Amino acid sequence: MAVVEVADEPKVDPLAKQKPKANKQFRDRNQIMLARLGWRFTTPALVIVGAITIFPVVFSIVLSLSNVNITGNGFQLQGFTFSNYSLLIHSSEWRYSLGFTVFYTFVTVFIEVVLGTAFAVLMEKLSRGRGPMMALLLLPWSIITVISAELWQYVYQGTYGVLQYLINAAGFGKPVILGTPTPAIIAMMAADIWKTTPFVSVIVLAGLVMLPGDVFEAASVDGCSPWQSFWKITFPLLRPTLSIAVLFRILQAFGVFDLPFVLTSGGPGTSTTSLAILGYKVMFNNLQFGPGSAVAVSATLLVLIGCLLFLRAFRSQVNGGDL
Amino acid sequence: MKVTRVGWRRYLNGVNFGVVVVILFVMLPIYWLVISSLKQPAALGATPPQFFPNPLSFANYRDAFSTYGFGVYFRNSVVVTIATTILVLFFGSLAGYGLGRLPMRGKSAILITLLIISLFPGIAVVPPLYLLERTIGILNSYQALIVPYTAFNLPFAIWILRNYFQGIPKEMEETGRIDGASPWRIYWSIVLPQALPGLFTAGVFTFTAAWTEFLMALTFNNSNSYRTIPVGIALFGTPFNIPYGTIFAASVVAVIPIGILVFVFRKSVVSGLTAGSVKG
Repeated sequence: MAVVEVADEPKVDPLAKQKPKANKQFRDRNQIMLARLGWRFTTPALVIVGAITIFPVVFSIVLSLSNVNITGNGFQLQGFTFSNYSLLIHSSEWRYSLGFTVFYTFVTVFIEVVLGTAFAVLMEKLSRGRGPMMALLLLPWSIITVISAELWQYVYQGTYGVLQYLINAAGFGKPVILGTPTPAIIAMMAADIWKTTPFVSVIVLAGLVMLPGDVFEAASVDGCSPWQSFWKITFPLLRPTLSIAVLFRILQAFGVFDLPFVLTSGGPGTSTTSLAILGYKVMFNNLQFGPGSAVAVSATLLVLIGCLLFLRAFRSQVNGGDL
Repeated sequence: MKVTRVGWRRYLNGVNFGVVVVILFVMLPIYWLVISSLKQPAALGATPPQFFPNPLSFANYRDAFSTYGFGVYFRNSVVVTIATTILVLFFGSLAGYGLGRLPMRGKSAILITLLIISLFPGIAVVPPLYLLERTIGILNSYQALIVPYTAFNLPFAIWILRNYFQGIPKEMEETGRIDGASPWRIYWSIVLPQALPGLFTAGVFTFTAAWTEFLMALTFNNSNSYRTIPVGIALFGTPFNIPYGTIFAASVVAVIPIGILVFVFRKSVVSGLTAGSVKG
């Protein structure tokens, strides 16, 4: 795992292990020269990243603590205030969005990881054609989310959508899918599960392929059933890979925007309004940048805390401490 | 006792059945997308729905380009995506080389900061960037998207490339140095060619991210002549009349380049997805 690699950093100093070719002084000079070169190579990228990502995040925090007025072609900040945050905490919309986003993240990530692992285990048993299957699984991942949202909207459509037709043909009546809160939430989750489960299964499959085969042979010689050998051997060995897949997914799911924006516009009512949708609406429909930034900052803080908690809880697995 | 099946029956087993289920899971919605794009506009609202387009029609494709100006969106996406990919690979490989190979102080701090930056949700940075671009007056331009896309894709690219550079043997580089080649030359003609797989991985990921990005494209480039594909498709039609046929025709055209790219570079994509768990 990436985080761990950083900890080993000092060891991979390129010249440290090398036998000195000349005297120490020369080596030191050489080191300094190379370090300078390193900074010259690295600085442009760091300046771009710093200016376009770190600055806006800091500025977002400033906006969320100010009264922001949008003027003709600029904006004004007036005074320091906590009012944006107190507005948030007293707003039932924000609380609903927060609850919805957390619920949506838990449910979709859980289903995607379970289903994706099942797919991966299946693919791993495939003797031929694994390459093309990988490509097939990557297809939904590479499709623009807006496109998949339009497609599912058409499938769920109220008068001529194919899903409603099939449900009706199966004798379950004509549910209004996108027009009623609970079915709309389920429909949105299903669209996400379709697009992302294959992505999870590709990560898990890559992890599965790297597991040592002899352990499984030994297990099968000792009379382990496939089910037992999955839970007792595969699953523990796979945990580092699974943790990374889960982390990736939590981040993406928590910031969900494109899918509800196109599929449901956050509706019906506010039932599929994620934090990102709420922030967007407050800022760009109502032009309230102070409260909108507070929504965005709250979402960022929560997702960072969530990731840190996850990493803490699963640190031993992420480190491969189990192996 | 194991039964030996002959002929086609030997393909009847649990694994193959499961694989067929997976293929259907992935392909049925895509099938629906493609056939809907090939239906006559009137057949799109038919009940019961047509499960095979009859008659086949390319009217939606013609409409997408002639009536809805999809060509402009396509061109904008190509310009923004290619410019972003080139910039990310250029700056990212330089920084990846520095952080992976050269004895700089504070590398760990830089790498961890980059990792944290890649965790920020888009909505956190869009409002300040919008105000900034609005104030300096570059909303509705190519650079309005190219600059932020480059910045947001750099951290991942730097990580990927750093891992690759670390895995490349040092001998040739040192020989070059002893022979008195300039640092730039060593980087360009000795190091970079060996990192080609890493460049593919970082390139495919950046390309895909820029091709599919929606939130920034929606807020920064709202004017019709600078919309990218995702924004163009999302804003086709009106809330009361959504031209699904045109949308799906445009979608098929948008999926083809990325589909080919991912098929050709699938190994690079997989190695990028597992970069966290495997040391490069």
